[in-house]
Amino acid sequence: MNFFRGVMGGQPAGPQHSGVETIQKLCDRVASSTLLEDRRDAVRALKSLSKKYRMEVGSQALEHLIRILQTDRADSEILGYALDTIYNIICSDEEEEQDESEDAAPPLSGKNRNVPEEMQKQDDVGAQFTERFVQDPENITLLLTLLEEFDFHVRWPGVKLLTALLKNQCPQLQGIILVSPMGVSRLMDLLADSREVIRNDGLLLLQQLTKGNAAIQKIVAFENAFERLLDIITEEGTSDGGIVVEDCLLLLLNLLKNNSSNQNFFKEGSYVQRMKPWFEVGDDNAGWSAQKVTNLHYMLQLVRVLVSPVNSPGATASCQKAMFQCGLLQQLCTILMATGVPADILTETINTVSEVIRGSQINQDYFASVNAPSNPPRPAIVVLLMSMVNERQPFVLRCAVLYCFQCFLYKNQKGQGEIVATLLPSTIDANSISAGQLLCGGLFSADSLSNWCAAVALAHALQDNLTQKEQLLRVQLATSLGKPPVSLLQQCTNILSQGDKINRRGSKVQTRVGLLMLLCTWINNCPIAVTHFLHNQENVPFLTAQISENLGEDERLVQGLCALLLGICIYYNDNSLENYTKDKLKQLIEKRIGKENFVEKLGFITKHELYSRAGQKPQPVFPTPEHMLFDHEFTKLVKDLEGVITKAIHKSNEEEKKEEEVKKTLEQHDSIVTQYKELIREQDTQINELKAQVASMSSQSEQMQVTMTQQITQIQQHKDQYNILKLKLGKTGDQSASQGEGAHINGLQSEELSQLREELEDLRRQHAQLQTQLAEKDTLIGSLKSEAASPAEGAPDNTELMKELDTLRAQLHSQAADLTQLQTERQELLRKAETAESGPASVDSGVDKAKVAELEKRLAAQSAETQKLQGEMKNLTGGRAGLESELASATSTAAILQAEKGKLQQEVQESKKEQDDLLMLLADQDQKILSLKHKLKDLGEPIDDEDDLDSKDQSEDDDDEDDEEDDDDEEDDE
Amino acid sequence: MAYAYLFKYIIIGDTGVGKSCLLLQFTDKRFQPVHDLTIGVEFGARMITIDGKQIKLQIWDTAGQESFRSITRSYYRGAAGALLVYDITRRDTFNHLTTWLEDARQHSNSNMVIMLIGNKSDLESRREVKKEEGEAFAREHGLIFMETSAKTASNVEEAFINTAKEIYEKIQEGVFDINNEANGIKIGPQHSATNSSLPGSQGGQQAGGGCC
Ligand SMILES: Nc1nc2c(ncn2[C@@H]2O[C@H](COP(=O)(O)OP(=O)(O)OP(=O)(O)O)[C@@H](O)[C@H]2O)c(=O)[nH]1
Ligand SMILES: [Mg+2]
Repeated sequence: MNFFRGVMGGQPAGPQHSGVETIQKLCDRVASSTLLEDRRDAVRALKSLSKKYRMEVGSQALEHLIRILQTDRADSEILGYALDTIYNIICSDEEEEQDESEDAAPPLSGKNRNVPEEMQKQDDVGAQFTERFVQDPENITLLLTLLEEFDFHVRWPGVKLLTALLKNQCPQLQGIILVSPMGVSRLMDLLADSREVIRNDGLLLLQQLTKGNAAIQKIVAFENAFERLLDIITEEGTSDGGIVVEDCLLLLLNLLKNNSSNQNFFKEGSYVQRMKPWFEVGDDNAGWSAQKVTNLHYMLQLVRVLVSPVNSPGATASCQKAMFQCGLLQQLCTILMATGVPADILTETINTVSEVIRGSQINQDYFASVNAPSNPPRPAIVVLLMSMVNERQPFVLRCAVLYCFQCFLYKNQKGQGEIVATLLPSTIDANSISAGQLLCGGLFSADSLSNWCAAVALAHALQDNLTQKEQLLRVQLATSLGKPPVSLLQQCTNILSQGDKINRRGSKVQTRVGLLMLLCTWINNCPIAVTHFLHNQENVPFLTAQISENLGEDERLVQGLCALLLGICIYYNDNSLENYTKDKLKQLIEKRIGKENFVEKLGFITKHELYSRAGQKPQPVFPTPEHMLFDHEFTKLVKDLEGVITKAIHKSNEEEKKEEEVKKTLEQHDSIVTQYKELIREQDTQINELKAQVASMSSQSEQMQVTMTQQITQIQQHKDQYNILKLKLGKTGDQSASQGEGAHINGLQSEELSQLREELEDLRRQHAQLQTQLAEKDTLIGSLKSEAASPAEGAPDNTELMKELDTLRAQLHSQAADLTQLQTERQELLRKAETAESGPASVDSGVDKAKVAELEKRLAAQSAETQKLQGEMKNLTGGRAGLESELASATSTAAILQAEKGKLQQEVQESKKEQDDLLMLLADQDQKILSLKHKLKDLGEPIDDEDDLDSKDQSEDDDDEDDEEDDDDEEDDE
Repeated sequence: MAYAYLFKYIIIGDTGVGKSCLLLQFTDKRFQPVHDLTIGVEFGARMITIDGKQIKLQIWDTAGQESFRSITRSYYRGAAGALLVYDITRRDTFNHLTTWLEDARQHSNSNMVIMLIGNKSDLESRREVKKEEGEAFAREHGLIFMETSAKTASNVEEAFINTAKEIYEKIQEGVFDINNEANGIKIGPQHSATNSSLPGSQGGQQAGGGCC
């Protein structure tokens, strides 16, 4: 142990030399000592040397230290020393004056923040050793495992080491941590550590870890980072909290900036609502510590990240909505109108409100309704505009107000209308300051910055809004006494034409650029405004003079803008002024300026160094007031116009004419096309109507078909039964004949048999005859059926018929039963007859006789029965005919009824028409009566009010009647 | 928006099986015919109603591509439910289920409810995996199973809601430790105020989109 004391206590004469030696010895010890205590002491000694001899310890001991981390996992003390030593090697933190006594209270967290980045060469050393450490990804995995160690001596230095490594080798380390199982999740657990130091340093670690890596940001968010961080912020007293709050906010910013998935998660997790209390800062002037200002600054940044114009419109819109619904916007507006708020917080609050309302109608409407708590209350917009045109206000604040105003008007036709209205003669309220007055004041003030801001602000009130462009042409300004008022448009060009002679504080170029941007925006896409502008004889000569002159660098932008203005005068010219038609203006350019020259001057705008910068984002941010030249929206306009104007200038007269012709023919074509379109539309409606008709008809026909098939089947059934019956009746006749035949065969001669055969033939003929009759009947039934099917109204009449048919069918059924019985009997007889025929010789004649007698008797009975059945059949046929005739008469009745109905309908129609006429008459008469009454009144005759009432009642009754009629109509339709 | 519970889901499965489409159909009622490879993970959310209770679903749609596998693993631990998706028209996506399941079981908490989904059921003519096979796999591994179509929206609601029902039942049974947020479950801000005897306490869904 003496050895170590010597090393640490003594002041070595040649530090470099003895240091290297000592370190070598210590390293040997670390590597070879078998005793843990020895190793531990050696590492501790290395640690104490690691700051002074950073390079030496690093180059000689790093591998040994890493081995300690791998092998001495059980001893937290030695792990702690090793981690601290490595930390010292790779981190050039001079402040980090770790006490020799390790047990001293841990220093406040975050003290190693804000490290001045001046120690460049030492950082090189750190970077070199970091690279060596990171080379083997296993080392990082090892470090991550060590972080799971709960022991303070391991965890804390581990957190610090990893943070330092991340600072030096961020992307590489992020990659390793991302692929190591649960790497990020484990680091998230640091936020749950009950020991504040670790939690706070964990915040710093996560800040480094999440820098610029969306995948890690998402995992951290997934591990409930939002919840945890918001909780910590609340616990620490939100904006009044210390640096921990700031750290939380910075981490939140890392997680949300440019990460739409996390932004969505943040919004969906209802965390927007939890931001609202942050801004309940009240009116107290007391507590605005530097930390509070910083905290609030980041809080405002967070709000802006969620509603940034660069986010997807949908995402921004839903966050804007949430911010209004939870009262966050209202809270921000309170800060806006509060007193004692530090200027930079106020400025950032204005910027934040701007983006919370930008393009969101509800939020813009709310903003328009905010009043400053002044006496009398003034709209916040007016109060803000006062600052914008006030030279004493800080530049950034004035820019913020302009941004706010622009955001208020962005996609807000209503707001644009309201602002322009404050300038119109009819709506000017002389008693209070209006936005319009402030803008005019700014436009013509002696301060060039005010000129520029007011011009741009006014241009935004006209953006994409033809109505307001035309409205603004009506604005007249009172000039000096006795002189006639001058239009706003004229006043702008008047100032412009003073050129360099105007007297302004600040930059004269700024004033003119502002006015030119306003004029370009104003007359762009508005031929009436172009005409107004050209109407002043001085304007075009002024512009051509400006463009053609060879001016200095400063004036180039003005020249470019003048060219743009003249270009718009050509492009949106409706040729209504004879002196300044498109042609004439182009000739003028060719003569006075030259086409090429003109186009070159026009190009000065986009070639300006500040142009592309302004195009990047909507917020007007400029390093100095002199840089304030381009407006974001205006750059879009230039982009749209430069090409088309260049083309328009280059086009020759003939081309122009040709184009004009083409345009005309195109227009003709267009009109033809519109005609055709109209026709098509008409036909389309017709087709649709017809289709509807077809549909209803086909449904009707379907219905009819259904009834028809029903009837057909019924009739068919009927017919079948009828046929069967008939057939059976016929057969019964045959049967009786053949039976007689059979009977005779038994006892009589074969002569008789042939006679009988003839008879049979006869009967067959009869049968055939009957069948033809049946066929006739069939056709009859067929025609009947079609008759029955065609009128749909016939259906109800049929029910009765059907009933009758049913009863008939029942009768038929019973008859059929009788018939079957008969048939079986007959079958039996036939069989007997057959046997008789096949073996007449073997038959005993006595028995035969008796049998024949019996058969004859039965035959007689059957014949009688058949006769009876035939009679019944005849009756049935008669009934059937009766039914048929009944059906026919019913059908005809239906037809008659329908005719009657038609007639009635016509009558109704007529009477309705009559009634209408009557009503008209009545109305006429009412009118007459009224006019007469008026006349009477004029003549001084008193008039009964009752009459009036009566007439009123009358008309009401009429209305009722009309309604009823309408109802009737509907019923008829059905 | 007030909710009684918040559940975290992940959607996993091979690339191109329709995970992102399922989420989009569930949150936005839209279908995206072009394959937009998911990079890492994407977040989506919707409110549903189960047993008369508002339940917020926070869903992380992961990338199916192999190279993102390690990132995906970070999401298992904190999820209460997982939709494991294959494509019924691509047998290989079905064959990979075992690997997916192993990965999920290894990295998630043991109570995570897994719903097996055979997606693209509208492409019946190109089917390569029979419904019975999916059912058998689910039965064998103790998963819930459904065939869905992100295109026609068939069964999409049901897939998400039935998973939630299963989680909800597990909560009622006391299987889940609802106080440990690492399980992917959170109790809503005023859970006590929620009336459980609300009428219409049948599981159903609410018109989708964002809350707030
Ligand atoms: N016909 C049909 N096509 C689908 C269906 N679901 C998804 N698709 C198509 O399948 C392709 C892949 O869908 P994605 O949802 O992007 O696939 P993914 O699973 O998210 O893929 P990764 O993000 O790479 O993991 C797309 O072209 C979808 O249009 C479906 O139900 N029916
Ligand atoms: Mg996807």
